[in-house]
Amino acid sequence: MIDQSADVLLELRHVSHSYRARRTNFERGEHHVLDDVSLQVFRGKTLGVIGRNGAGKTTLLRLMAGILAPNKGTIWRRSGISCSLLSLGLGFQDQLTGRDNARLSAMLQGATRSEANAYLAAVNDFAELGASFDEPVKTYSAGMRARLGFATALQTHVDVLLIDEVLAVGDREFRAKAASAMQQHLKGTQTVVLVSHNENQIEHLCDEVAWIEAGRLEGYGLAAEVIASYTAKPTE
Amino acid sequence: MGFRQFWILADAMARMALKADASRLYLGYVWWVLEPLLYVAVFYLVFDVLLGSPRTDFLAFLMCGKLTFVWFSKSVVHASRSILAAQGLIGKIDLPKVLFPIASIQQSMYKQIAVFVLLLTFLIFSGYSVTEYWLWLPAIAVVNYLLIAACAMAASALVCLVQDIAMLVSLAMVFLLFSSGIFWDPRTLSPETSNLLFLINPIAFLVDAYRQVLMASTAPAVYHLAVLGLVSVLLCVAVAVVIHFNSRYLALRAVTS
Repeated sequence: MIDQSADVLLELRHVSHSYRARRTNFERGEHHVLDDVSLQVFRGKTLGVIGRNGAGKTTLLRLMAGILAPNKGTIWRRSGISCSLLSLGLGFQDQLTGRDNARLSAMLQGATRSEANAYLAAVNDFAELGASFDEPVKTYSAGMRARLGFATALQTHVDVLLIDEVLAVGDREFRAKAASAMQQHLKGTQTVVLVSHNENQIEHLCDEVAWIEAGRLEGYGLAAEVIASYTAKPTE
Repeated sequence: MGFRQFWILADAMARMALKADASRLYLGYVWWVLEPLLYVAVFYLVFDVLLGSPRTDFLAFLMCGKLTFVWFSKSVVHASRSILAAQGLIGKIDLPKVLFPIASIQQSMYKQIAVFVLLLTFLIFSGYSVTEYWLWLPAIAVVNYLLIAACAMAASALVCLVQDIAMLVSLAMVFLLFSSGIFWDPRTLSPETSNLLFLINPIAFLVDAYRQVLMASTAPAVYHLAVLGLVSVLLCVAVAVVIHFNSRYLALRAVTS
C-alpha cells in the first residue's frame, strides 16, 4: 500500500472530466475523458501514469497543472506550490533561433528575463547544438528539436513537475544522456508525475503508479505491483 | 504572475512574433509601412483619381484617416484569433488568457509607431506645420490603444468560444471602414448628425480627432476624449476579469476546437 504518512502536495478526489464537442453542424457529442479518478502526489516521490493511447493520461496532467478544470470532483493543491507540465517544444516558432525559443519557453514557465538569459548557456550545453543554437529552428532536424525541447524543459524549477512522454527523444546516445539527467532529477527531492507508454521506464523511475484505462483508474499502488497487472492484461 | 512579469512576457512574445514575421518575408520590416501605404494608394486611386474628390488636401486627409483606422482594424482582427492560435501552448501551460490578445496588440502597436512616423513625416513634407496641437497626439493614441485593447480581448475570447464570430469581426471592420469617415468627412454632415456619429462610433471620433490636431490645428473635444478613455479602461478591466474567471473553460475550448 501507499505510505499515507508522507506529505501530500496534490490530491485528486473523485475527479471526472468530460466535454461536448461538435461533430457536424448542429450535432454535439459528449466525450468522457476521465471518470471518478482519485489519487495523491507525495512530496519528493515520482508517480507514474500508465495507460494506452487515448486513456486520458494527458488530460489528467492538464487537470493537475490547472490548465483545465474538472467537471466533477476536486483537485487540491498545497497552497503556494507550483505545478508545471513539461512536454517537448513549448510551441517552438520555426522562424526564431533556438536561443530565442529557449528564452521564450523559460519566460513562459515563469522565469524573469534575466533568469531566462542565465539558463541559455546551460540549455545549449545540454542540447549540444553548438553554433546552430543561433540558427532558426526551421533548419533543425527532428533530433535537434527534441534535444532543444528537452534541455529547455530540464532547466525549469517547480515544486511538482508533470512530464508527458519526454524520454523517447533524439538518437540513442542522447536518449541515454536524457534518461540519466532525468533520473538525477527524479531521484533527488523533485516531486514528479511522469506519463509514459513505456512500462520498463515507469517501473524503473517511479515509486507509485496509476494505471488509467478508458478514463478509469484501473490500478493504483506500488510501481512493481501495478506494472505487473498492467503487463498481465491482454491488449484488445 | 505579477503585473510587471505579465507585461514583460507579453512584450517579449510580441517582439519575437515581429521578428519571426519579418524573417518570413523578402521585404521583412519594410512591410510595416508598405502595407498601410498600399491601402492608402488603393483608396487614393478610387476616391481621388477616379471619382475626383472636391478636397485639395485629400491625400493628407485620407492618410490621417486610413493609417489610424488600419491600426484599430488590423489589431482587432489579428488579436481575435490569438487565443485559438495559441492552442498548442494553452494545452501545456496555465497562462492568463489575456496574454495572447495583449501580445498581439503589442505587436500591432510596434508596427503602428513606424506608421505614425511615416504619417508625420508626410504631413511635414506636404507643408503642414508642426504646432503645439500635435502634442495631443499621444493622448489620442493612448485612448485609441485602450479601445483596441478592450475590443481585442473581447473578440479573442468570443472567437475562442464560437469560431464563427471571426466572420462577424471581419464584417464589423468593413462596416466601420465605411461608417467612420475614412474617405469622407463627417464634418460635412449636419452638426446634429456628425455629433451623433461621433457619440456612437468611437472610431469616427478618434479619426476626426487625429485630423483636428494634425491638419486643422484644433484641440480635440477633450471631455469626449477623456470619457472615451475612461469607458475603454472600464471595458478592459471588465473583459479581463470575465476572461480571468473563465480561463479554464477557454482553455478547454481552445484545446478541443
